[in-house]
Amino acid sequence: MTTGSTSAVVTGAAGWLGQNLVRALLSDGRRVRGLVRTPEERSLLELLGPSAEAVVGDVRDPSAVDALFAGVGEATVFHSAAVIHPAKHVRELFDVNVGGTQLVLDRSKRAGAARFLHVSSNSPFGANPTRDHRFTEDSPYHPYLGYGRSKMEAEQLARSYHERGDVPVVILRAPWFYGPFQPPRQTRFIAAVRRGRFPVVGDGSARRSMVYTGNLVQGLLRAERSEAAPGRAYWIADPEPYEVREVVETVRRAAADEGLAVSGGSPRVPVALARAAAALDAVLQARGRYVQPLHVLGELRDTIACDVTRAREELGYDPEVTLYEGMRASIRWCLERGEPV
Amino acid sequence: MRSLDTEVLVIGSGAGGAVTAATLAEAGRTVTVVEEGPWVDPDAIEPFSLDEMVVKYRYGGPAAALGTPSVGYAEGRCVGGSTEINSGLYHRLPGDLAEEWRRTYDIDEFTPDVLDHYAGGIESLLTVSKVPGAPPASSAVIERGATKLGWRSVEFARVFAYDEQGRGTKQTMARTMIPRAVAAGATVVPDCRVVRLLRQGPRVVGARCRRTTPEGATERLDIRADHVFVCCGAIHTPALLQRSGWWSRIGGGLKLHPTVKVAARFPSPLDHGDVPMHRVTEFAPKLTIGGSASRRGQVAMALAESSAEYEDALAEWEHVAVYYAAIRSDSAGRVLTLPRASAPLVTYRLTDADLSRLARGLVNLGELLLAAGATELYPSISQSGVARRQEDLVAWWDGLTRSRANLMTVHLTSSVRMGQEGALSGADSFGRVWGAQHLRVNDASLIPDAPGVNPQAAIMMIAARNAEHFLATA
Repeated sequence: MTTGSTSAVVTGAAGWLGQNLVRALLSDGRRVRGLVRTPEERSLLELLGPSAEAVVGDVRDPSAVDALFAGVGEATVFHSAAVIHPAKHVRELFDVNVGGTQLVLDRSKRAGAARFLHVSSNSPFGANPTRDHRFTEDSPYHPYLGYGRSKMEAEQLARSYHERGDVPVVILRAPWFYGPFQPPRQTRFIAAVRRGRFPVVGDGSARRSMVYTGNLVQGLLRAERSEAAPGRAYWIADPEPYEVREVVETVRRAAADEGLAVSGGSPRVPVALARAAAALDAVLQARGRYVQPLHVLGELRDTIACDVTRAREELGYDPEVTLYEGMRASIRWCLERGEPV
Repeated sequence: MRSLDTEVLVIGSGAGGAVTAATLAEAGRTVTVVEEGPWVDPDAIEPFSLDEMVVKYRYGGPAAALGTPSVGYAEGRCVGGSTEINSGLYHRLPGDLAEEWRRTYDIDEFTPDVLDHYAGGIESLLTVSKVPGAPPASSAVIERGATKLGWRSVEFARVFAYDEQGRGTKQTMARTMIPRAVAAGATVVPDCRVVRLLRQGPRVVGARCRRTTPEGATERLDIRADHVFVCCGAIHTPALLQRSGWWSRIGGGLKLHPTVKVAARFPSPLDHGDVPMHRVTEFAPKLTIGGSASRRGQVAMALAESSAEYEDALAEWEHVAVYYAAIRSDSAGRVLTLPRASAPLVTYRLTDADLSRLARGLVNLGELLLAAGATELYPSISQSGVARRQEDLVAWWDGLTRSRANLMTVHLTSSVRMGQEGALSGADSFGRVWGAQHLRVNDASLIPDAPGVNPQAAIMMIAARNAEHFLATA
């Protein structure tokens, strides 16, 4: 077992996962160097304590990533910076998710990093062929549109750095997150479900693996210490996938139990409409355009489910927080910050 | 009208055609080679000069593949084809790539063992070597930058022969395989463009040509042949097949290695007599960094592509050299012959992933050159300005857009892919065109995908293999 007392470098440190991860690292007594995008994010991060240090810059910028690694030595690198929903152009997915990953891998190699934990996604694998199918670590790539292709290429890059002996790499594949420090899109999702405005495709029986951010942080920290992990990939998710209608019901129950008014039902959208959205999304993406609502609606028809057995067995991963508890924690976080949930 | 009879007609005299002609002539076959371009004395024109471009390049310089952005391409058009104008890099087809293609395209007799056998044969006839002594300063730049950044780099072998003073001469087809073919009795007809193939139903019986005489007149020449090999390169091979009536899976699937460039200025002069033979392989196979010919003409063109003020740098052009980043692209293009047009329409649409990879390559290249001591970088991005420090490089990500990128390629492949998988291939495992008789393709068109490395070695080894197959079967 490695000691885990080395300092940590976190990209995307002010992001959804990054904020949860940095807090967990600091509470373990670790020193953290984080890459953030703005001076405001730096202030937020450095408020967390004297062991937290932030570098402001673009993950595509060699001089910013040099500053991130300056003097850190044999650190663990948590690479969680990525673009999921580009502002407008598909190109951004590749620039940040592939270009940024190459740069951080290169500097990890040069700094002699102890381990590189690469946060990946379900999107390089597309959708399951049936509702009962689960992705395992042996499932073949079948990337879904631009994001899926960019995260696939990033995984392949990370793997090549490991195979060449440049830096030990562990790939962690996480599906849809929930948990504190969520971005506005997740707050809008919860608010829409609470008000009965979130569309459920078909009968809502498609399954989705989801992961509570706290569970994902646990998976990352255990992957950092596991001797079996270098060179391997792991699915990190809640123990079992949920049916979409079950997610909707659980969010509504969690909202009610946090004292929020719950109204309406859950409007049904025909599967054909979701299919049409996915087709239009594909056409626009081929022309470089990204339209987030289309992308989200298109993806809602699919079962995207994974099996976490390998992470349990090899990393000792043991997801503790349930969907109901995690959603309540998210809603509380929104309420504390006055977010319009 | 004149006519001529031969057993085997080879159309094109580059890496594919010259190897085919030499192999067949030395086996005792009666071979005629026709070449659209001139037969130039290899010692008459200075290598990598502008004169060379005018005489030996098709269209006297680069042509453009249409698309947004367009990709400029260059091809040789002379006896010896592109081997007369390239850098002479020689890189055996990587075994894992050959194996992947063998499976994907169902190519018979395409195992690494077979290919290595033919590569060995080619290497015993050409001279494949590394530079004796220190590399030229422009190549040492690549090695020095890579060492400083901890990146892998290699000196590539080239088809160069060195004399006792260490002077190198590129072993082009006009110096090697063409003379071998001629010595074995082959006839070479330069300045002779094939208009179309002559056919009787599916059977090819020869070619109709338009020949330019030494006096400058043009005449029609019909060549009757038992067998025809089309070796005109990945653009003009499918164009000729289309003009002759073969369209099925011919011309689609064109692959190329798009490249971006940087003209880099250094504090002291570099030598410009040779071309860099070092390559950064840290990011291979999707991304490779290397150097280009950097005579005054090439330096001026590269400086101009940045649209920055460059008079000062050009005045000191001996301090400037041109480097590139080349990618394996996800997309494919098309060669399409249009009625009554003499040149085919070539289209190629880069994906967003391709453009991003090019931007990544450009930023890597910038880092390399700054680490090697460059003081000014002029990227091939319109309105980009000059980069002088590492902090300037990040702007290239957003600068390299479809409208501002100036892209180029010298590697074109895959427009008549080989293999038994009929849905993917225009020719079988040995270059026999599907649906035709006595007609073979034997050049870069057959290579099923962009190899990520200089393709001339792959072209030669595949051509030698297919020529041997012909001798054994026809």
